[in-house]
Amino acid sequence: MENNPKRLTRRDFIRGTVGATLAVSVLGVPWAKVSEAVGPSSIVTVVRDKNVMDAGFKVDSKILKNMLDQTVLQLTGKAKIQEAWAELIKPDDIVGLVPTPHLNPTHPELVDAVKNSLMNEVGISEKNIIMAQGGKRKPMRCTALICMPALKGHWLTGIGTVIKNYIMYSGRPSRYHAEKSAKLGEIWLIPEVKGKTQLVLVDAIHPLCDKGPQPDPRYKWAYNGLLAGTDPVAVETVCLRILNQKRYALRGEPWPISPPPICVAAADKAYGLGTSKMEKIKILHFGWEEDLLLG
Amino acid sequence: MTEKTVNLPKTIGVWTRPDSARIINSSNIFDYMNGAGELYLAYGFDHLEVYEYTTADQQDGILVEVYVMKTSNDAFGLLSMDWGGEPVAIQSLPSFQANPTVAPPTRALYGGGLLRIWSDTIYARVMAYRETSESKEAVLSLSRKIAADRKLSAEPELLNIFAQAIHPDWKLRKDRIGYFRSHLVLNSLYYLSHQNILNLDQSTEAATATYENISDAGTSKSVQILFVKYATPKKAQKALSDFHNAYLHEHQKWVDPGVTEKHTNFFNIEDGWLGYTLNRAYLGLVFECPNRESAQMMINHISRNTGNKENDRGK
Repeated sequence: MENNPKRLTRRDFIRGTVGATLAVSVLGVPWAKVSEAVGPSSIVTVVRDKNVMDAGFKVDSKILKNMLDQTVLQLTGKAKIQEAWAELIKPDDIVGLVPTPHLNPTHPELVDAVKNSLMNEVGISEKNIIMAQGGKRKPMRCTALICMPALKGHWLTGIGTVIKNYIMYSGRPSRYHAEKSAKLGEIWLIPEVKGKTQLVLVDAIHPLCDKGPQPDPRYKWAYNGLLAGTDPVAVETVCLRILNQKRYALRGEPWPISPPPICVAAADKAYGLGTSKMEKIKILHFGWEEDLLLG
Repeated sequence: MTEKTVNLPKTIGVWTRPDSARIINSSNIFDYMNGAGELYLAYGFDHLEVYEYTTADQQDGILVEVYVMKTSNDAFGLLSMDWGGEPVAIQSLPSFQANPTVAPPTRALYGGGLLRIWSDTIYARVMAYRETSESKEAVLSLSRKIAADRKLSAEPELLNIFAQAIHPDWKLRKDRIGYFRSHLVLNSLYYLSHQNILNLDQSTEAATATYENISDAGTSKSVQILFVKYATPKKAQKALSDFHNAYLHEHQKWVDPGVTEKHTNFFNIEDGWLGYTLNRAYLGLVFECPNRESAQMMINHISRNTGNKENDRGK
């Protein structure tokens, strides 16, 4: 074993040598090359409405539609919904919607809201809107993707929200567990996917702050929010902040996500998908402010 | 064909289940629960029986998952991953339970509509999709049926390594005791490495626990003990050697596989003092100690108790 490549351990996280160790052990690409090159701040919107979900977990589609409208307006800086969507999606796009089916599934009401907006605001015909979660073939004919995971932890990768949402496109999801979860970002660069994601829209209505592997209602709470951005790493970084702050609030003592979610920093520093530095992320919040968990 | 393990009512309250359970085994567990299947395969998994109780309007059902494990210890391990929730009595405890247990004495924990149960070789999850007083009553009732007439096994013997206190200052956090056989589960409880640097597998038994020292000023300091029983002394030696190479590679290694079966050592690393002790097939480690003395104290405790285990084996 002494001649084997270095192992990523707890000590790397304390010493700040995660990148160096991963670079020589699993990534095979340089670390910290791209992050510094990221230009202006990435915008992440957090839109919340206290009443979007009732005590019985029923989602109010009308309120959700308003939240979605507010999300695209905030994100694009446009004054009108049609102009805002036009910034993200073209009328001739074939759009793949990529919700999460497992553990803490994306609310179907959100999928419907996006689909309706694409048809009504952008003018895309229903046949050109594809449910694109699944194997590699799903995104192949899409010209645009909307990544639509729900906010949740994951017991093998730490967080299982944005970066992991395309794992099925790899064709070999089991190859991205444990240390190799650092490589999840590479899936965003395969030809069928690269450059197609026009919007990352996270369903944070009823998130799951623990890792699972199966849903435990004690760790789900009504955040009643949507998070969005065009930088997947920035959105994931904000998601991580919310999960960690909720975990701390629940236990009243540090309760770090374990195993550490190495895919987030690697998506930034090895694959250049966006920024994982909070100081480079501009959070635009709109709506309900209680327990925002972004302090 | 797997025979059903539990005898659940066809109807409970407004909920009704199909005539037969859905049977999941190791070959199709990933179809049922995706990557979550890794958790159950990390323990001794035999099969899973799934019952879905629904109402006439298909709203707010109750999901019953009965995980049949190969040993009672495996079922205990699944419960030990999270001691949170409201303890619920679903079986009357036998006389041996009058003695204090190392882990929390409860065998069923409820919270938010989900009841988790350890009952002999069964670990079960009974979950109401929406919590109401009626659904809670149904969940509790189904849980009692699952546990009915089932043997009340003792907690894993390996846990006896954990005293309630080590020196009066260091108190055991019962709610931070975990039992497992896989590095995936270890990482979920206490992260060491994404890789299996302790060579854990189905032939090993491992337990971890947190000890806490709360000062007069109210500040607390925690240390983590990890205790592993390997199938053979040779495997334990190899594991320690591999662990040292991966975790302490810059430190002198005084253990030479094949040469000695007993070994103790201490290292000052980034998050405090780390100590380990190897005694034949038993490997004990302590992490994050504030000084060498506290690490020595923890390791001495483990060594003494490991020695007792070896003596017991020799009787």
